[in-house]
Amino acid sequence: MPVLQNMLRFIIRRLLVTVPTILIVITITWGLIRLAPGNFYTSEKPLPAAIEKNITEKYGLNLPWHVQYRRTMWNILRHLDFGNSLKYEGQSVNGIIARSLPVSATIGVLAYLLALLVGITFGSIAALKQNSRWDYGSMALAMVGISIPNFVLGPILVLIFSLSFYWLPPSRWAAFPSRNLILPVITLSAIYMAYIARLTRAGMLEVLRSDYIRTARSKGLSERQVVLRHALRGGLMPVVSFTGPALAFLLTGTVVVERLFALPGLGNYFIQAALNRDEPLIIGIVAFIAITLLTMNLLVDIAYAYLDPRIRY
Amino acid sequence: MKDDHSHDLHPPKGEVTPLPGTMPSLDGTLDEDSLHTPLEAAVGEADLRAAEDAEQVKGNSLWNDAWRRLLKNKLAVFGMVVVAIITLASLLGPLVIKNITGITPDYIPGEAALLKSFPPFTAPDGSFSWKHPMGTDNQGRDLLARVLQGGQISLMVGIISTLVSLLIGVGYGAVAGYLGGRIDNVMMRLVDVLYSLPYIILVIVLLAMFRSQTARGQLILLFVALGSVSWLTMARIVRGQVLSLKNQEFVLAARATGVSTPRIIFRHIVPNTLGPVIVYATLTIPTVMLTEAFLSFLGFGVQAPLASWGSLATDGIANIAIFPWQLIFPGVTMALTLFSLNFLGDGLRDALDPQMRKF
Repeated sequence: MPVLQNMLRFIIRRLLVTVPTILIVITITWGLIRLAPGNFYTSEKPLPAAIEKNITEKYGLNLPWHVQYRRTMWNILRHLDFGNSLKYEGQSVNGIIARSLPVSATIGVLAYLLALLVGITFGSIAALKQNSRWDYGSMALAMVGISIPNFVLGPILVLIFSLSFYWLPPSRWAAFPSRNLILPVITLSAIYMAYIARLTRAGMLEVLRSDYIRTARSKGLSERQVVLRHALRGGLMPVVSFTGPALAFLLTGTVVVERLFALPGLGNYFIQAALNRDEPLIIGIVAFIAITLLTMNLLVDIAYAYLDPRIRY
Repeated sequence: MKDDHSHDLHPPKGEVTPLPGTMPSLDGTLDEDSLHTPLEAAVGEADLRAAEDAEQVKGNSLWNDAWRRLLKNKLAVFGMVVVAIITLASLLGPLVIKNITGITPDYIPGEAALLKSFPPFTAPDGSFSWKHPMGTDNQGRDLLARVLQGGQISLMVGIISTLVSLLIGVGYGAVAGYLGGRIDNVMMRLVDVLYSLPYIILVIVLLAMFRSQTARGQLILLFVALGSVSWLTMARIVRGQVLSLKNQEFVLAARATGVSTPRIIFRHIVPNTLGPVIVYATLTIPTVMLTEAFLSFLGFGVQAPLASWGSLATDGIANIAIFPWQLIFPGVTMALTLFSLNFLGDGLRDALDPQMRKF
């Protein structure tokens, strides 16, 4: 199985790059926090010298920087342990991530599924009826979706659906099947719908002109079969390759949506941690995000190779 | 192939006089040929000949052609007009308003009764008034003046950060592409690694940690942060262009006449990559502006007393239930600008680089 072997070699080669990349991300973050003036307790009242000394000793801040760096990295590499939060005392970073991840993941996955559904549908229609009213309409709408910042869209939706018509709750978290999720998910998915619709349209237009579609048509297949069975597979390639960058976008999106709708997700904790200079929590969340992102990118590349037989590694 | 293509590359000495900024002329017949652009290279020699003949008659340059194509694209023209209007209004608007009503963006009325948010076109007594077409904010400041002034900051962040990314990206991509080989390999591998980093997260950490005490300091930090994370795609585009350009005859000719490597890269090759660079830069501006707004929303962006569309809209969110105009005017102005810039960018791409066109 040379194909499988090549794939395996590709995955290993990618992992060899991925792991150092994650370490670089952690190091950059650590460096940024350490290079910045001030400390995590400087936002509070000026402390008496004795107390400050106790704090620096407790957290090992009096040690040389390389000892501190080695200690942090060692705990992460050896035990996957990011330590305890400095601000939320007694809470482990791992615990906070485990608790807030389901919130972000629920919103993110639902938003992406919605975006795929709506985006692919409208993108395909636009491509099949190129230069029609449908085409121009959905593409203009997609451009609007790309241009409206989600933190403007969200409050406007709240203004309409919560504060004017009282249909949907304006904020607060509730687990999956809940009306509370409707507005956050729509707010988050708007921009992906737009991107996916544009990508689908471009991909479909290219595929619909290709030889194999002409062959399928000339074999006498129904238009429905041509589109669903043959064109979509090729036409959706750009959408598949968009999944990688989309995940990165989705992260920033969830940060906004979680803050807008007061959801206790990873993004919200991250911003809070950045404001508090809560070093272990910042590093923990950054590392977690980097690992997720890079793993997802790898999976996307594998999926890409699987879907497009022309690509060989 | 006619004779004029079999030019010898060893011209008699003394005939070759490379002028600054122009391609060296080898045997006198090459002048037009030497101005190859990626576009023309793709068209093929025969078409190029035909196109050149036509050029002789009509005198249309590549840029003229592109301009005409752009003007045919209604959406792009719409975008261009809106961007021009908003830019002009942002630059001149605050001055005009000051001259008409005497109100500056930071003007806070002296009367306690006026220190609140009035709806658009409304006078303090509730009657119709032209004085505040977008209403006022919580301190009674004119929202129109503030939105226009915010536009200055938003556009400035967009343009300067894009210029920063342009500088880094073009330089990096051109050097990697031209030098090639192992250097190129290492440089582009680095770009690959940087690509996979969760930037925005690192930018947030950077901005949160190095928060400047002054609004001006924060703005400069923002330029650097945004510019230094958006050059990667630019570097890739430029590198690709340079790879296809560097083996063309005008480069060979320049090298043969002893032009130095940096000079070949920046005077002979880079000017020929301008088309795609302009297109991508136009599309980078709205992206950067959106990122700035996002950072301002989180409280890491532009700081008071300066205001951008993003920070104005963020201030408005708090009052959405009672004073929705505080969010809607800056938000919609910003969305309209981004919308127009995106259309303009798409139009420019179709006009300057028909190959990249997605139907």
